[in-house]
Amino acid sequence: MGKQVLYIEMDNCIGCRSCLAACTQCGGHDNRNRNYVLDVDPFISRQTIPLMCFHCVNPACARSCPAQAIQIADNGAVLSALVEKCIGCQNCTIACPYGIPKFDEEQNLMYKCDLCYDRTKEGIPPMCASVCPTNTLQWIEEAELEEKRAQIPLANRKWTASHDPDVLEGETNVKISLPGILQGKQKLF
Amino acid sequence: MNYLFASKVAKRAFIIIACLFVLSYVGTRFFTHIDLALYGYMVGTLVFIGGFLYRFSAWADRPPTNVILKKGLRLLFRKSTANTTVDHLAIYRFIWNRGWYRWTQHILLGWGCILAAFVTFPLVFGWMYFTMTDNGYYQVVFMGVDVLTVQADGWVAFLFYNALNITAFMVIGGAVMALYRRYKNMQARAEQSFVYDFLPLYLLLFISVTGLMLTASNMFLGGFGHPVISVTHQFAVIVTLIYLPFGKLAHIPFRPMSVFARNYREHYGEQEMKKCKVCSNEFVSAEQSADVINVLGKNEMAFQMEEGFHLAELCLPCRRKYRMFRFTGVPTHEINAREANQHAKG
Repeated sequence: MGKQVLYIEMDNCIGCRSCLAACTQCGGHDNRNRNYVLDVDPFISRQTIPLMCFHCVNPACARSCPAQAIQIADNGAVLSALVEKCIGCQNCTIACPYGIPKFDEEQNLMYKCDLCYDRTKEGIPPMCASVCPTNTLQWIEEAELEEKRAQIPLANRKWTASHDPDVLEGETNVKISLPGILQGKQKLF
Repeated sequence: MNYLFASKVAKRAFIIIACLFVLSYVGTRFFTHIDLALYGYMVGTLVFIGGFLYRFSAWADRPPTNVILKKGLRLLFRKSTANTTVDHLAIYRFIWNRGWYRWTQHILLGWGCILAAFVTFPLVFGWMYFTMTDNGYYQVVFMGVDVLTVQADGWVAFLFYNALNITAFMVIGGAVMALYRRYKNMQARAEQSFVYDFLPLYLLLFISVTGLMLTASNMFLGGFGHPVISVTHQFAVIVTLIYLPFGKLAHIPFRPMSVFARNYREHYGEQEMKKCKVCSNEFVSAEQSADVINVLGKNEMAFQMEEGFHLAELCLPCRRKYRMFRFTGVPTHEINAREANQHAKG
């Protein structure tokens, strides 16, 4: 089995928040969810998009951590702060370009999406992807990702059109496809 | 002064060794009371100091660490420092909030190690030793000064004799609790590795058990095997000391940073809060926002947006909504609606 990645097909999201509920149930998540579901245009439409850690290849949170508490696992997952190292400065929450890490004042500890490392290191999908009813969140092999990519070839080798510059800040381990429908563009598959 | 040394590390090493030398000179009444049985531990400690300085320097040179260290030192004498220090370094309130089991385990391990260090290091460097004055009385000498005379069969003397036995039992209790948690807790099992998480616990157990065996050999076996156990114990302690700055145990010397971090946040929070560039809510101190931008810049990350703000100048909800804008083109961050239903009940 090839390397597997979390792939987010944004315009499938129906805002059911199953992923949030599932997140709380992951082995080490201590009954707290680490992901978000956001309304795109709250007073106009019902479209939602899930937002979770994109697991940057060069994570700003880890770079800004004075205690070297944020480790990167072998599968690219950027883990929650190590409990014995985190000094509670909250630099990571300020540095993250997506606003993902959460902070527990009582425990003086940062926690974030760790791509359900206890599951994904065994090849089991993360909780969010395993419950998503609309295939917004998918846990797929890289080969399958390439197939999906090949279905919608665009001149600029991007997935679907969106405004420039790139929608993410730097390369990420989580792959996304943008909501083309929202911009009046039909998906080709 | 700076020309005297090849590097900062060399300077720090020289200062520490010189201080130890002077303290030992005074403490041992001018080298007349050196316990040569502890000579091996002294060499081990000196190697430990070298390793620690190496690790500390590599760590302190990282841009974010440097900021917190420098500003933390400057803010060391705040009113709240004493409170925070007790909270973070003595009673571990934040660990209590993570659960009573982990707190108990950490109190046993942490205070077991700290108390043991308070006994052994002064003994090794001759800062503290015992002599007999009158018959039946024991004299405690600290830094060359007679500080205490106790009855040789009194309860204070009992605590002195058995200090390391008591701490050994504390450490064994804590280490066994920690091992049990590492076998049962799902999150611990997901991320742990043998070298990083288990080895320190086994080393502490190794030290404590061989230490107790010395006592057992003396009390019950008439000193049987004492030389072998003694060398084994010494080996265990020295290996642990040398390994300490490089593994999980490094959090012991580095933990005071959490007091620095708290002071840093409190102080600059009182000075000026940063207003989110989108919603104008205050979310962090202006100083910290600027520091993070600076640190990210040193790592060649500039999250400077076309709209004229850096992402570290946005509060977290606005930063998430701004990403929706980047995904869809709909200016979600400018729509005044709160994020709804973000917290699932576990």
